[in-house]
This record gives sequence, structure tokens and C-alpha cells, in this order.
Amino acid sequence: MRPRPPAMRQKRRYILVRILPAGTHPDSKQLYLAIHEAATSLFGDAAIGLAAPAVVFCDGEYAVVRCLRGTEQDLATALATVTFIGDRRIALRTLATSGTISAMKRRMKPVCQTGEASEILLGEKYFTAYHYPCQKVDLIEKSNKHQKLLFFTETDMEER
Amino acid sequence: MNATDAGICPYPAGDSSLRRMAIEAADLGFDSVVAVDGERCALEGLVALRGSVISGQSMRDVLSGLRRVSCATDIVFVDAGNLTFNRSVIPLRGIHILRSIHTTPRNSFDHVSARMAADRGVAVDISLHPLLHSRGSARQRVIQRYADILTLHRRYRFLLTISSHARSILDQRSVRDAEALCALFGMTSEEVHAALKTVGTLLTPRQPVRVLE
Repeated sequence: MRPRPPAMRQKRRYILVRILPAGTHPDSKQLYLAIHEAATSLFGDAAIGLAAPAVVFCDGEYAVVRCLRGTEQDLATALATVTFIGDRRIALRTLATSGTISAMKRRMKPVCQTGEASEILLGEKYFTAYHYPCQKVDLIEKSNKHQKLLFFTETDMEER
Repeated sequence: MNATDAGICPYPAGDSSLRRMAIEAADLGFDSVVAVDGERCALEGLVALRGSVISGQSMRDVLSGLRRVSCATDIVFVDAGNLTFNRSVIPLRGIHILRSIHTTPRNSFDHVSARMAADRGVAVDISLHPLLHSRGSARQRVIQRYADILTLHRRYRFLLTISSHARSILDQRSVRDAEALCALFGMTSEEVHAALKTVGTLLTPRQPVRVLE
């Protein structure tokens, strides 16, 4: 089948989002389902059917969400209302909107840990501490289920 | 104070420390936050103000709560209630913001309350939390309620504040997200920016001109 000529194709927009907390690493399908649920709940089936959202890229830290041109503002609003993927709490931070995926990929800066993960005792619970730039420290409770997440800074850790 | 998140709840009420929430708020475009039961400080290029919440069903509770509020508190919130309660609370000296208006009955904040709030310089808080975390009819009710408040605001010009009521960095949203979420009930970008500046206005209220000799 011959592809449509460019003038007949629907124009698309790509939205770059950062996935919080770092280290969540959802897969594309899970992320799509979360976005679809949030968007449908907010704007309804008809509006989201016309927006045709899709997750075209997801590497754990960043994701690129596609939609039709003219619907990117609505989709960005819906992205702000995504709070869960499955049973894990997340947040999506919209960083940029563009007409090409390559423009989005140029804006992705890898989020690297600044040191080794360490084990700390907080209260009566053990946590694994992951250190990130800007003095950020994410604490994940060492437990088999219902792992508690805490978000501190290096200064907070020194004060304790 | 050009963009203030008028209510965050840091650790131990939430799961994120005040410093971490300050870093996140600065990244999201805010220059100040009001930390409920936090402490007044300057962190990461951002001003954190101390807020206290008075929750009560009756005027007696509110008056005793006002007496307990320490002088270190910058902003005093009162949880809204029914019509009589709101009309009694708004004229009280020392109250800055009426919050949780979306949890009250529809007729609890009417044109008389709106005019009183405008005269007394009391702000009404628009919380983004129910817009993010509720779904279906619950969110529809919140949007209806905020649209009603916005109609009264446009008529009587009382102050509005916008808060995330975030207990975690995952609940915090950017200024642009706040604009998009407030657009759901018809708030314009200019109104959102004015609401984000309201906390600064509350801290330095208009006073009669004094002649110094």
C-alpha cells in the first residue's frame, strides 16, 4: 500500500515527559494505560478518541507521548492528572512539546545517581538511599511489600 | 512573591522533607511556598512561609485555634464549613485564607460571604489536590464548585489563592500545570497568575496612608 502524500497526513505533536520518582521504569503499555485512563476520565471518550494519544518512547526516566496537533494542551492537562501506574505512585512532568521526536530526544538528559546506594536506619525501619544530583536522596523501605518511599535531601540526612 | 504555592504539607505529615519540596517547587517555577506546620526559612532560592490550619465545626473551636496560633505563623488557614460558619469566620481578625471550600455544601459561600471576603481581604483557596486525585462525579462536583467560586470572584473581586496541598513531591505541579488545571473550570491565565501572587498581598495588606512628620 502506498503511503499517503505528506499533505494528506494528519499532523502530530510529541510531548516529552519526565517520570518521577527516578527508578520507576514503567513499560510503554503500563504508561499508555495510565495516561489513557487519566485522559478519558478528564475529557471523555470522544475528545480522547480524536486526540489519539500514544506512547512512542519510554526509557524509564523519560517518555514521549504522541497526539494529534491541536490536542496537545488537553493531553498535557491530562498528563498532570496521572498519579498511579498500576499500584505505584508516580508523577509525570511535562517538559516540552514539539513536532518531531528528534527534537524531544535532544532535550533528554540522563538522570544519574551521584553515589552508591547505601543502607540507613530511620526510626525502626531500614531504607535503601539512592543519591541524585542537587542533593536529592530517595529512600525506599526495605520490605517485601508496601515499600514506603521518602524524599529527602543530603542536608536532611546529615541533620538526622 | 510572584508565584506562591499556598499550601504544602512536608514531612512528617507527608513523605517529602521541606527542603526537597522546596527544590522541587523551585524547579516547577515557584518562588515561595506556604508549608503547613513547617518553619519560616529561605531554602534553595525559595522562601518557605509558615502556615497554620484551624479546623473546627464551631466558632468556639476557631477562636480557641486562633489563640493557639503562634506569632511565628505567617498565614492562617481556616477550613470552610456551612454558610453560617463561613459568614462568622470571615470577619475575624487574623484569618488569611478560607480553604477546603470544595468539601462544603454548594450554598455555603454565597454573594454575601464573597462581599465580606472582599472587604476583609480574606482569600479563598483553590486546591489542585482534588482535581488530581479524584475521578468521576467527585471531580465533576469540584469543578462545578470552583466555577461557582470563580463567578463570585469575578463579580466581587475577593482574593483567590492556588495551592497543591501536596504531601509529596509527586503531588506538586508546575505553574503551567496549575494554569492548565484551572482552565478546566474557566480560569484564565491572568487570573491564575494573580492568584499565585495573592500570598504576597496577604502578607503586606493595603493600609490607610500615614503621614510621617
